[in-house]
Amino acid sequence: MAEFPFEISPMFEGERVRKEGMFVELGGPKSLGLELVRAADMDAIEDDKVTIIGPDLKDMEEGKTYPWAMIFNIGGELVEQDLESVVERRVHDFINYCQGIMHLNQRYDVWMRVSKDTAAKMDSFEPFGKAVMMLFKTELPFIEKMQVTFYTEKAEVEKQLETAKEIFKARDLRTKDLHDEDVDVFYGCTLCQSFAPTNVCVVSPDRVSLCGAINWFDGRAAAKVDPEGPQFEIAKGDLLDASTGEYSGINVVAKKLSSNDIQKIKLHSFFDCPHTSCGCFEVVGFYIPEVEGIGWVNREYQGMAPNGIGFSTMAGQTGGGKQIVGFLGIGVNYFYSPKFIQADGGWDRVVWLPSMLKEKIAETIPADLIDKIPTEKEATDIQSLKAFLEEKKHPVVARWAAAEEEEEEEEEEEEEEEVATAAAPMMMPAAGYQMPSMASMPMMPMMSAGKAGGIKITFKKAKISIERMVISEKKE
Amino acid sequence: MSKLSTGSFSIEDLESVQITINNIVGAAKAVAETKAVAETTGPMGPTPFPSIATLRDWNFTLFDRYEPVYTPMCDQCCYCTFGPCNLEGNKRGACGIDMKGQTAREFFLRCITGCACHSAHGRHILNHLVDLFGEDMPINMGASNVIAPNIQLVTGQQPKTLGDLKPIMEYVEEELGQLLATIHAGQEAAAIDYDNKAMFAGMLDHVGMEVSDIAQVTSLGFPKSDPEAPLVETGIGTLDASKPIIIAIGHNVAGVTYIMDYMEEHDLTDKMEIGGLCCTAFDMTRYKREDRKAPYAKIVGTISKELKVVRSGIPDVIVLDEQCVRADLVVEGQKLKIPVIASNEKIMYGLPDRTNDNVDEIVADLVSGKIPGCVMLDYDKLGELVPKVAMAMAPIRDAEGLTAIPTDEEMKVLVSKCVECGECALACPEELEIPEAIAIAKGGDYSALEELHDLCIGCRRCEQVCNKEIPVLNLIEKASLKAISEEKGLVRAGRGQVSDAEIRAEGLNLVMGTTPGVIAIIGCSNYPAGTKDVYNIAEEFLNRNYIVAVSGCSAMDIGMFKDADGKTLYERFPGRFERGNLLNTGSCVSNAHISGTAHKVAAIFAGRTLSGNLAEIADYTLNRVGAVGLAWGAYSQKAAAIGTGCNIFGIPAVLGPHSGKYRRALIAKTYDESKWKLYDSRNGSEMAIPPSPEFLITTAETWQEATVMMAKNCIRVSDNSMGRSIKLTHWLELSEKYLGILPDDWWKFVRNEADLPLAKREMLLKMLEAERGWEIDWKKKKIMSGPKIKFDVSAQPTNLKRLCKEA
Repeated sequence: MAEFPFEISPMFEGERVRKEGMFVELGGPKSLGLELVRAADMDAIEDDKVTIIGPDLKDMEEGKTYPWAMIFNIGGELVEQDLESVVERRVHDFINYCQGIMHLNQRYDVWMRVSKDTAAKMDSFEPFGKAVMMLFKTELPFIEKMQVTFYTEKAEVEKQLETAKEIFKARDLRTKDLHDEDVDVFYGCTLCQSFAPTNVCVVSPDRVSLCGAINWFDGRAAAKVDPEGPQFEIAKGDLLDASTGEYSGINVVAKKLSSNDIQKIKLHSFFDCPHTSCGCFEVVGFYIPEVEGIGWVNREYQGMAPNGIGFSTMAGQTGGGKQIVGFLGIGVNYFYSPKFIQADGGWDRVVWLPSMLKEKIAETIPADLIDKIPTEKEATDIQSLKAFLEEKKHPVVARWAAAEEEEEEEEEEEEEEEVATAAAPMMMPAAGYQMPSMASMPMMPMMSAGKAGGIKITFKKAKISIERMVISEKKE
Repeated sequence: MSKLSTGSFSIEDLESVQITINNIVGAAKAVAETKAVAETTGPMGPTPFPSIATLRDWNFTLFDRYEPVYTPMCDQCCYCTFGPCNLEGNKRGACGIDMKGQTAREFFLRCITGCACHSAHGRHILNHLVDLFGEDMPINMGASNVIAPNIQLVTGQQPKTLGDLKPIMEYVEEELGQLLATIHAGQEAAAIDYDNKAMFAGMLDHVGMEVSDIAQVTSLGFPKSDPEAPLVETGIGTLDASKPIIIAIGHNVAGVTYIMDYMEEHDLTDKMEIGGLCCTAFDMTRYKREDRKAPYAKIVGTISKELKVVRSGIPDVIVLDEQCVRADLVVEGQKLKIPVIASNEKIMYGLPDRTNDNVDEIVADLVSGKIPGCVMLDYDKLGELVPKVAMAMAPIRDAEGLTAIPTDEEMKVLVSKCVECGECALACPEELEIPEAIAIAKGGDYSALEELHDLCIGCRRCEQVCNKEIPVLNLIEKASLKAISEEKGLVRAGRGQVSDAEIRAEGLNLVMGTTPGVIAIIGCSNYPAGTKDVYNIAEEFLNRNYIVAVSGCSAMDIGMFKDADGKTLYERFPGRFERGNLLNTGSCVSNAHISGTAHKVAAIFAGRTLSGNLAEIADYTLNRVGAVGLAWGAYSQKAAAIGTGCNIFGIPAVLGPHSGKYRRALIAKTYDESKWKLYDSRNGSEMAIPPSPEFLITTAETWQEATVMMAKNCIRVSDNSMGRSIKLTHWLELSEKYLGILPDDWWKFVRNEADLPLAKREMLLKMLEAERGWEIDWKKKKIMSGPKIKFDVSAQPTNLKRLCKEA
């Protein structure tokens, strides 16, 4: 291994170079700073080459700020344009591994500082460039060749910036325009299986991973780095149902990876065979039967949702790698998907969001709905939620009329219904599902039964522990 | 359903059903029925309310790999009148017990003593708070669903109110009685069964601690899962000696809250000082601070500071409760006219009980010196008595200039008396070079004495052996007056539990391995080389993005040191359960929240059944949660119980060198490959695992060695490549940094090239090729053959055959 004049370790990640300890500042709010990774032909790259256009470190004046652009070229058999952004995102990590070099932000907001200590150990940016490229090639072996150019002259940096902005724009457009139907493969991730054994995470262009950390491009890059690793290709197979997002390839993988616990996963469905929920999802969706709608609550929201339950309680019922009908864990970016729970009405079904989440994703909420979706400021319980939705004429209101009719019919069979509900918590676990125990759900099925002659309960391999049993005589 | 209040039901087809009914009470209200059953929501594991034998299988599974290693402190057993029996050289005593059995019994005795302390504290404060707020007061630990992870794990109960904690306490007390009985001669023979009981006692300890802290966090307005709990001034230098000063010592804040209420009601908070030593101090600064207002109460320090603070003459009154209170405070206080008020039945010090007397009469008796102190168990009176005594004593004591610290002239005389016989150095538990320091002081240079100040644990053993009756401690303190006046730090008030939401958010990093581990620094102040060790360790791990969780006395000492910018670690690192964060859970009983965090990861993040499911959750933690505890200055029986409790929960613990005196370690043979196998629960097949953690409880000699050990033992079989690579990076770097060598067994943890530290990958690949004969494809930089352990991210490692799907 080549020796570098400074230490390289993840322990320097959080290192700050303060003004007093700084030799020079590169880019940042007072100047221009850019970083860009470009795929290039193998022949066009001279491996490990560092080119410096403008003053090098030794020619810089202590305490000054210089404009800064760094353009990395990567080449290799597996390198393709779609991987550029994924590779680029690692620039931040690898630069920060270098002792005495601080890196903040990305793209055209890059802000770096070189400490006096580190500047004293080298007179050129060359070893720094080589160190970063060494890290890239070690961590991402599909990069076979790599070179970098550092620009420190204002005119040159401006020129690079102009070109780069066009590239970023095109890249964003590509990400936005890429949909499930445009690709042949999706990506699977089993990282969470170490915690949630039956969790099968499927990442498609229209569905980011539940944790929010892996989109389709990330999956693609990771699968290339290590095809046997935790992220891998899923041949999507035949499209079985466009609306729910059911693919034969996903079902095959789901069965295999869950050891047969999960038979089907429909990517864009909330109720029918929804995606499994691991434990690290950013947002959980919950069905509110009283309004036939779906509310969403994010991890950071500390309060209660209108159903009287907070994030942690709902997440507790959702997680563990199971398919829980009525609850769904997602990554925040799934709200931006054009296929967002499209099988169940998409945004028309969204009836509640915490205000902090609503603000964060406001741009993706359809304009005609944004004022119709209440937050904790407008609706804190079912009653106020109902009233708000009714007043604003939320699309779900149309579903209510039909539902009310059904309810009336049900009431006539009330007693029978109760017995069935009572038995449900006992039966559900056997079917491999976790039955959410909602606050409103009857808690003690065994103690009292309907007047219609009692209920029958079957215990098998049960262990019942009763700490304190209170028996009272009937007073009447 | 609520409409159905009557009816009948029949049960048919019972198969292997065990119904345990603990307590049946007739003729109460029907609503209570609903409550009793509602408590047991969710699925139940196989071991709710375990007794000694219930978890023996699990403990034996652990002992199979982590073998008990005994280090007897003495060769004799003096337990009964048959003895004393010499057990040296495999001899058995008169009752038939052997050395291993006796040593295991001694260790076990420490564990139940510690457990009894926390539980008795819990019982006292629970009864007190139920009296004040009623049984129906709902438990409030912040925005979490799992509010009592230890209680739920062990008993299967999910308490909702203060009253629900009572049966939990009863359970702990019942089991403690059963355990204590086995200390008796002729009650147990095998060492390993004492070890099983020790583990069981450790487990009960965490339940007892959890009850204590849940009760007080709920009712006393403590911060509730608050990462931004306020910062508290800490250190003797923060006390304003010009004001009357109350010093509270111990662990149970119940009585002190009345003193604080009185101070607030009478507008005295800025007219007098209240500071605490040991964990009462922490709980004083949590009292009514859920609003994040900076506390006026101060944390003075640990048990090592008790005698030093008294000798300084600063306190105008001392109020005691229970645990970690020096036994000589009345004697020491009397010399300097510092009245001592005992507020808890557990420590009454031979003082007159004045509970039923008029407060002003007691004040008069204390001020006149008629009594050196008193017992006061009525907290309303205590609240009034203590501030009044402080205000009455302060002018008197100031006028007399009462302090044990010698004047410059006296100092010269005392120093010159020393004949450098060396008795003090022999008696010193820290083996401090006292005679040398005094010899230097004879020439007028007190710097060597000053250096002893931070190393000295304030035990006074030196003074008692001094042939010339030199008050050695006073000399050290005299030499350190400037340093002491500058002892000002900051510590974050105890935040309570880690919230469910934090577990969920951090779970991702635990899975990805971008958080290399959780380091829990807990326990007391019997450090081998001064208080700075714990600061150094915490800073090193925080810089490396570990989660550092702290509690109790270590949490105080960590806050006493500052960086170049004058900032403490609590100011530099935020207090969430997140990588690169420093979270203080609170006092000694808040340790339950650290172990509870591990249970929560398994229960919340992995969706495992928590209730009554200890073996499965502990197995999960042992195999997947890279957490290591450190009790660097462990001195107490409580520390033994806390650490042993962590062990049964699958969390390894490192102790300081003094902890060899606990007499028992649990250490695995890393060379014995047969011990490093688990089942893959997907199909029951055997899988080889790397040798980590390599111990459950052991000691390290230096803080540098401990640091390297902890980094290594954060490695877990389930690490993915990114996680393993990060963990190896830190371990190797720390080993090179502090021990000057690359460890000789790092290769055992390498499954493929992606596991290797990024910056050293090429060098290590070369070493693997040259030294271990592994085959490397240099073009792809890939390991082709060599590793014995295969990496499968979806593998489900477990020690428990019963969790395996049938092959």
